[in-house]
Formats: sequence, structure tokens, C-alpha cells
Amino acid sequence: MSINEDKIREWVEYFREAREIRRRYANWDFIKSQPPKIRIALEYYIETGDFRTAAKITGMGVDEFLDMAKDLAGIPTTD
Amino acid sequence: MVNAITDTSFLIDWIRYSKSKLIFKIFSIIYIPENVLNEIRSERTLIWISEGLEEGSLAIFPELPDISREALELVARSRRVPIRPVDYPEAFCLVVGRRLNFIVLTENGGAIALKSYDPEYSGVEVLRGIDVIYRLWRLNYLNSFKDELELYQRETKHIYSRKDLVRYSDYLK
Repeated sequence: MSINEDKIREWVEYFREAREIRRRYANWDFIKSQPPKIRIALEYYIETGDFRTAAKITGMGVDEFLDMAKDLAGIPTTD
Repeated sequence: MVNAITDTSFLIDWIRYSKSKLIFKIFSIIYIPENVLNEIRSERTLIWISEGLEEGSLAIFPELPDISREALELVARSRRVPIRPVDYPEAFCLVVGRRLNFIVLTENGGAIALKSYDPEYSGVEVLRGIDVIYRLWRLNYLNSFKDELELYQRETKHIYSRKDLVRYSDYLK
């Protein structure tokens, strides 16, 4: 497969902006007050956008995790 | 009208939108892969899906071995690229989209990125919530693209980045 390298560079910037949005909107007081599994999962999600692994860390369903991230932790979906 | 296949990320956001049922105006059937259905647990999402199944506007797409194998290969290939990889459920949707000419509905950045850098998948049509809202507006199901996108972002708690919005800048003034 020949990968389009220019596109990759664009996407690196795109994912960086998405991470900044998640960091900016996050309710850090809520996140820091959570038990370790949930706190670590939310922080992992903010940094990576990988909701599926984050949900697995908590033992929640993917939709249950994202509902919590949006409604309680203030983290929007971005990418 | 055309068929579409949706992943989890699109469904979770879209069903929060108060006008979510409008999506059935632009697709004959929206398929939900078995592996996507298996990820869903919340009552709100399951009710939306079960209503769609009852009405015949949604259908379950079976876990076919040859599609599954190709999806796994795609996941492995995407992990060699230094950006967010595509996960199996999104890869499954992309393979179905390529083979059956279905539109892929996703908000997953890994899947959207893959379409743009992998020439094998560049022909797959991938739509996000913002693209569906644009289409609904162009078809006169919505009065204002700008107002509706603001409503969508507020209700779904999905925020589009500059790169996403710039494609529609002419319509967001």
C-alpha cells in the first residue's frame, strides 16, 4: 500500500486539535474526584480519543462510557 | 435512495439529536453490524435501534467471515501508520462500504483518516453527522444549516474541529 504522507501530516494536526478540544472542555474537578479506574480511563480518553479502550478500562459499555464522558465529565466527542 | 452502514461512534452521537429520525429520509436502510450492536448497552440507544428495526429502516448486518477477515487485515495495516488506527467495527463498516457500495456513517477519526490516506479505500463514501445535516438541509428537510449544526453540536455534545468546519465555511456565515 502506498500511503499518502502529506495526508498523514494533516491528520496528525487534526488529532492534536481534537485532543486540545477534549482537554479544554473537560470538567477536571469531576475527573479528579473519580475512583482510579474511571479517572484513568477518562484521562486516557482525553489524550487519545480512543473511547473503546477507555470503556474497557472502566468495564462499561462503549455508549455508557461516552454518555458519562459527555454528560458528567464534560468531554465532547470530536473525532 | 442508497443504503448505509453505521458504526458505534456515529450512532451514539446521532441518537442524541432531537431530529435523529430525519436520517431515514436519505437512506433506504441503515445497517448495523452485529459487532456494533454487541457494543451497545444503554437504554436510549437500544430503544432507538429497536424502533428502527421494527419500522424496517434499520437492519442487522451479519458477521460474514470474509468481510471479518478483510477488516482484521485493515486494522493491522492501519496500526503501521503513525496516527490513530482504525478499530475493528469501523474497519468492518469500511470493508462493507467498499464491497457493497454502501455509505459508511462514522464519527471515528481513525476511519475517516484511513479513507484519505489509503488509496484502496479512497472510493468509499464516508459521512459524519455534519455531512448528514448538510444533506438534509440541501434536501429542504432543515431550514438552516448553520442553526441546525449548532443545535446538533449542543444536543449531541460533539464539537467539530476547524478542519471539519472549513469544508462548509461558505454555508456557515
